[in-house]
Amino acid sequence: MFKAIVSAETLSSALDSVSVLVDECKIHLEEDGFTIRAVDPANVGMVDLSLDAAAFESYEADGGLIGVDLSRLEDIAGMAESGGLVQLELDEETRKLHIQIDGLEYTLALIDPDSIRQEPDIPDLDLPASVVLEGKDINRSVKAADMVSDHIALGVDEGEEFFYVDAEGDTDDVHLELTTTELIDLQLGPAHSLFSLDYLKDMNKAIPAAAEVTLELGEEFPIKIHYGFAEGQGQVTYMLAPRIQSD
Amino acid sequence: MGNAALREIAVIEEVPFEDLGGSVVAVDAHNWLYRYLTTTVKWTASETYTTADGTEVANLIGIVSGLAKFFEHDLTPVMVFDGGPSELKADEIESRREQRATYEEQLETAREEGDAVAIAQLESRTQRLTETIQTTSRELLALLDVPVVEAPAEGEAQAAHMARRGDADYVGSEDYDALLFGAPETLRQLTSSGNPERMSLEATLEKHGLTLEGLIDAAIMIGTDFNPGISGVGPKTALKAIAEHGDLWSALEARGEHVEHGDRVRELFRNPTVTDEYEVDTLIDPDIAAARAYVVDEWGVDEGEVARGFERIEASVVQTGLDRWS
Repeated sequence: MFKAIVSAETLSSALDSVSVLVDECKIHLEEDGFTIRAVDPANVGMVDLSLDAAAFESYEADGGLIGVDLSRLEDIAGMAESGGLVQLELDEETRKLHIQIDGLEYTLALIDPDSIRQEPDIPDLDLPASVVLEGKDINRSVKAADMVSDHIALGVDEGEEFFYVDAEGDTDDVHLELTTTELIDLQLGPAHSLFSLDYLKDMNKAIPAAAEVTLELGEEFPIKIHYGFAEGQGQVTYMLAPRIQSD
Repeated sequence: MGNAALREIAVIEEVPFEDLGGSVVAVDAHNWLYRYLTTTVKWTASETYTTADGTEVANLIGIVSGLAKFFEHDLTPVMVFDGGPSELKADEIESRREQRATYEEQLETAREEGDAVAIAQLESRTQRLTETIQTTSRELLALLDVPVVEAPAEGEAQAAHMARRGDADYVGSEDYDALLFGAPETLRQLTSSGNPERMSLEATLEKHGLTLEGLIDAAIMIGTDFNPGISGVGPKTALKAIAEHGDLWSALEARGEHVEHGDRVRELFRNPTVTDEYEVDTLIDPDIAAARAYVVDEWGVDEGEVARGFERIEASVVQTGLDRWS
């Protein structure tokens, strides 16, 4: 059983953060909210999302599992007007999701969850450095790096106590330093890793500019990117594997 | 190249590369290289891979583009070469040359004695790849940090052995004989464009209600790399005969037929010469600059033929997967 009413904006935020990595996903309809875990086909980027029942106008579920085509569901949520609500109801018999938006009824065929790529195990990482900053600073870093390169180095200078972003292109370079005065928080630790901008750009698209974002970093280790949405009642954690320089 | 008639028996399904990401593939290196050699020689102007003194190193072009394909799909290849010395060192190249001379002598003897099994075995080890190709392939693979295993005899048997021990997820070979060597899962068409095929031993045995021994016996009737098979016996007849009579000997007796050296061929598949003495480091860290210099500067291969392949390797191998940390 699953029946819920949620603001189109909250639903879109949740779906967008997953659709940057995969086209289809499984949604766990738990009693206290829904959760999604997915990894891209290359096993490089992972997302772990939870949306608490409190983020919904109303929410009833009993632990079901559905498979959805994300772009289809995003398109439907996009039909709502600003501030509009989306009503979702699962028909267990037909395995279809009935969606209502301002009198518009849409019946969405679900995907067999078994046909969707298996959900990843979350690597248990103990990352030494942590940086808390605003979403807009990530956006700025990613945009600047993208002008010169396909990858971006993120690291922490333990001596001078700042977080830095480096991108080296064939001709041009980008460097950005954020000190403790510009950051919300900084936990010092050895950290320097290189990441694909293809992935980071996509993840950046989902991160709200005003969100408080926590980055956890290590030396040639995956990065964890953590932020909240829907007034903190939604939580997203991305994990991205590093590029390792071959020489 | 094995017997294509086995295809009719084998359970094979196409599988997208993305479902294979993160796997280790024990590749029958001679089989793999040979595929690339024939396509390179067929489609590329010979000047691009022939040195000033007339030595052909088309294998280097093949290796570069072939490895790019593995790396792009996050597959880790382990190259398993047919019988030869264990490591590539200057003095051992000499010993391999000697070994090759020994094989050739043995082949000569086998021909004189008309020993068909020995001829087939030795021909596959001596004729397919030249000494230069043997040496340069190993040297390039070493620079690209691709693990190499030297099989004591058939590379395919060794690859199957490694897969059975759990040191590889798949055997990579075009040869249907991989099944007979007991490879649990074999990937075919790794050298072609498009998706590979996955051939499953368990599903094959289940489908026909056979044991591996029964499958080997049926294959010997049809014909393998090591024996020509009985004329007029195809997969259907062979399967039926084994099902009815239990094993090769009874099946042959019932038909009044004889397979020369059937017992030796059977033994070759049942108890192939393999070794547990190998080390495989699947964390690959290629030295692309050195590999490029080796191919282009040292062996004079036309840079244009390998530029794209090296770019693809460079762009792909450095991206790690999250599974490395879980």
